[in-house]
Amino acid sequence: MAAPGMIKKTFLAPLGKDNPVFAQILGICSTLAVTNKLENTLVMTLGVMFTTALSSWTVSVLRKWIPSRIRMMVETMIIATYVIIVDITLKAFYPEMWKQLGPYVGLIITNCIVMGRIEAFALQNKPGLSLIDGLASGMGYAYVLLVIAFFRELLGTGTLFGFQILGSWWTSWAIMIMPPGGFFMLAIFMWIVREAFLKEGSHE
Amino acid sequence: MKTEGFYAKRIHPIVMMALITIVCILVTATLHLGTLDRVRTNEQFFLWRSILDAAAIPHDGQPASVAALYQEGVTEQNGIFHATGPDGSLRYVKQYTGPGLWGPITVMVGFSEDLTTLSGVSIVSQNETPGLGARIEEAWFTAQFADRQGPFTMVEEGTSEGPNEIDAITGATRTSESFRNIINRAVADSETIARGQ
Repeated sequence: MAAPGMIKKTFLAPLGKDNPVFAQILGICSTLAVTNKLENTLVMTLGVMFTTALSSWTVSVLRKWIPSRIRMMVETMIIATYVIIVDITLKAFYPEMWKQLGPYVGLIITNCIVMGRIEAFALQNKPGLSLIDGLASGMGYAYVLLVIAFFRELLGTGTLFGFQILGSWWTSWAIMIMPPGGFFMLAIFMWIVREAFLKEGSHE
Repeated sequence: MKTEGFYAKRIHPIVMMALITIVCILVTATLHLGTLDRVRTNEQFFLWRSILDAAAIPHDGQPASVAALYQEGVTEQNGIFHATGPDGSLRYVKQYTGPGLWGPITVMVGFSEDLTTLSGVSIVSQNETPGLGARIEEAWFTAQFADRQGPFTMVEEGTSEGPNEIDAITGATRTSESFRNIINRAVADSETIARGQ
């Protein structure tokens, strides 16, 4: 088993200096697409956390038996299986949410973070550590999206999780709900985080 | 590095891929079949609920009561649903599909007994932008069509005055227009329901 220091480092890196969204700039497509309502964002990020954690773990378990020339096919197959599990579960038990998210759940398969962590980490590390790495990467993705969604929904519709927060005096900024709002919020978020926390030399 | 033998180079990858494929398909197929009944029940619930909404039959949104109300008051003839309202009057509900901004929008349109007035409109499926076009699902938007006579015109959100004016959704002009077109087509189509009887 890995040393406790290694576990801590593996867990904390994706939340901070190696964050998949603002440091590695991965998974941007879904960051822009699903962050205009907090509820959708929450479900989507839970799906990504589930997928990154378990697909990293599975590939790590199988890593010694997967021939390197077919590894990407195997990885895609495993990722797709977990995503379909999420999709079917939502469809059966949370049909209203499933209808709202539409194609986005299926598109988790193409989220670069999932395969990125498998290729960069799970193929070289033990299953337990890979699980932690996958989960932490999913969490790093999740909190960035939730912060962006918080501001987009609040400014765009005056609500949070569908509950009216700002009064009738508030004029909703329709642009926050539309794709440009996603670009602006993501850029502002990256700017603040990189300026304040990721000063020169602290990231690779 | 030693050169790979025939087994390692040719056979092992095929066997490995086949095994993983079989396992993955088994897992997903089992889950799919295991939840099939539930998924079908959900789909039927959504359909029944939209028919009740279009016929303006009040319900509490619970699957059991929606099913009871549907089985009690709705019959289908040639794709047209005949529903009896709480006051005993007959309503006709028909499904219409038209293009939205991103994909087709399917709605249920309910007509009063004399076919001149709409009893209600409800969404069966749509794929519009969440937070913008998808707001056509919000109750205030569809409620605008209840007890009104078409054809309708769309005006800026919050400014409708005339009897045929409908508030459009700010930031979703194209979706609003598509939706208006679908409803106006349904209004023009009401005579086919009369002929269908």
